Amino acid sequence: MFSSQNNNGVESQLCTAVNNAIRARNAAELASIVLLEPPFPPIYQELVQLLQSNYPQSANNSESRLDQLVRRVVTETAEYEDEQGKPVQGWNAMVTFLVGWMTFLRDMDLSNLLHTYQGLKDLQEQANSALTHPIKGVLILPTIVNYARVFARVALGLDKHPELIQHLLTSNDEGSRESLSEKAANVVRVAFTQCLNDRVGTQDKKLGIYKMANICLKILFQADKPESCETIFRNITNSSPPLHVYPKPEQVTYLYYLGRYHFANTNFYAAQLVLDHAYDLCSKSPQFIKQRRLILIYLIASNLIIGRLPTQHVYTLPEAQGLKDIFDPIAKAIKAGNLEQFRRITNPDLSGKNAGWLMKFRIFYQIGNYCEVLVWRSLFRAIYRKTGQEGESNTGKAAVLDLNTVQATFAYLEARAKIKNPEHAWQGAIPGHRNFGHLFQDHASVSKSSYVDPDFAGVEGIEPYNHEVDVAEAECICATLITQGFVAGYIDHATGRLAISGARRPGGAAQNGFPAAFQVIKSKNSDNVLGWKEDAGGSMQGQVIRMSGAKAAGE
Amino acid sequence: MSGAAQGGAPTTKAVSDAPNGQPAAVSAKPAPQLEEDDEFEDFPVEDWGEEETQTHGDKTHLWEESWDDDDTTEEFANQLRDELKKLGK
Repeated sequence: MFSSQNNNGVESQLCTAVNNAIRARNAAELASIVLLEPPFPPIYQELVQLLQSNYPQSANNSESRLDQLVRRVVTETAEYEDEQGKPVQGWNAMVTFLVGWMTFLRDMDLSNLLHTYQGLKDLQEQANSALTHPIKGVLILPTIVNYARVFARVALGLDKHPELIQHLLTSNDEGSRESLSEKAANVVRVAFTQCLNDRVGTQDKKLGIYKMANICLKILFQADKPESCETIFRNITNSSPPLHVYPKPEQVTYLYYLGRYHFANTNFYAAQLVLDHAYDLCSKSPQFIKQRRLILIYLIASNLIIGRLPTQHVYTLPEAQGLKDIFDPIAKAIKAGNLEQFRRITNPDLSGKNAGWLMKFRIFYQIGNYCEVLVWRSLFRAIYRKTGQEGESNTGKAAVLDLNTVQATFAYLEARAKIKNPEHAWQGAIPGHRNFGHLFQDHASVSKSSYVDPDFAGVEGIEPYNHEVDVAEAECICATLITQGFVAGYIDHATGRLAISGARRPGGAAQNGFPAAFQVIKSKNSDNVLGWKEDAGGSMQGQVIRMSGAKAAGE
Repeated sequence: MSGAAQGGAPTTKAVSDAPNGQPAAVSAKPAPQLEEDDEFEDFPVEDWGEEETQTHGDKTHLWEESWDDDDTTEEFANQLRDELKKLGK
């Protein structure tokens, strides 16, 4: 921060303060001078007034005069010689940036968001250019981080007001429009790439990798473009130092977005690994309960899908308030094989009590689609325990389950799930309490679908589609469980039966024929996760090679 | 990498204009409410100590990896069996 100490103009004092910060190699000091956001200290208000009167926007030569001023006072931007007498290029991009910053302050109009966005974009690009200087560029890194956060906020804010930005949206080759947020992410990504690819000296710019990546990821996730994040994760895998050497807040934020990315890409095992680590690393301070809650929501969702179910203890955590109501019914349906209950929770018509909540967090369809197979597994196991023939250890006969029974069970539960009022669903099962909904065409209480797509509503002869599970489908479901490793056994197609292995081992077929789902899924997944740099692979291996080469040269 | 913390702390100060890299606004605010917001907020601190992090290692109190629990699912299984009997299966 600079202060008014002498009689020079405030613009000269400012430039002197900048020059001192650069000379002292104090990047934080520099960032504290080139402020961007109000409220400004009084001296900045003085500066803005002076710029408006002495260097007005209307005058053609204002910017060239500011350029001269900066070059005269910020002498650290000039070309110089290093300790070995080698010339080091001047920092012209810093001059341009400082002029750009002063004109931005001069012209700032907070009532015009679009104008502010454009000014910030220019300034961010100028700062990116200043970052490229091989020796001094790193000094502007904290400034870039600050600016990028402001820029991201303005871009995301503007995207919520499409009426302001219609004319700015450009179509790319595929015809889809690039939002202002994506444009902003692209600008910020330039700085990220520069940090990542720093090969000069002590590679100090690498300090900024995860700070810049996190800002890009925040923009892309808020703009609902998780698919655009892949480049960032690939670049990090290729060129970043290990994540664990960075400050924990940066690690946690990065791992949160990485976990969400893998979740969105149906890599649930990878998502769970990443989110689990983020949850471990996150501070327990009450100040960060919202962050921990978000991590936990996606961690529970990932774990449910890979068959690792939350204990009741999870729901007692402060950040888990209300989550039991949402996730426990799903876990219970998975455990019991309660297909009817599972269908009610995950009905695509969003009639489930918490469907809206699950949709908001973008975990509804994943849970509906990927937990289904776990429900099937438990249901097969339940049917086997209650109706199957246990194997005999002395005769070597395998445990057997009749697929006709499986078909009847599935058809029965699927039909019940279609009865919209769950209280009516069980009534039909009790003699004397059958409901008469079917007589009155009451679709809330009959096990027939009444859904017709709105596009076909009123078309003559259109009947709602009613899917009914037949034996072939039951056999398919059975085959899928065997193929995925959730059931150990084989299908005897001729007799329509499933032979389940493990009857002769302790625990019998009910245990050995149905391996723990999480272990099955774990065995099929790798612990290497795209985007999670756990050790010094990639570019760091290159350094190891160079060091061994240097040793050989010295011998 | 300690430079990141050193370089960044005063940066935060510049933006928030508060000591210790923590914006004054945080302490002035009431405890955060659990309204459902899906934006992952920035951490307004540069780092925290190991002692502040969650438990590592054994996670069995948080997650069940083997959960075929015949006791808690018996009721549903018995209902199923009774229904199947009625269906003549």
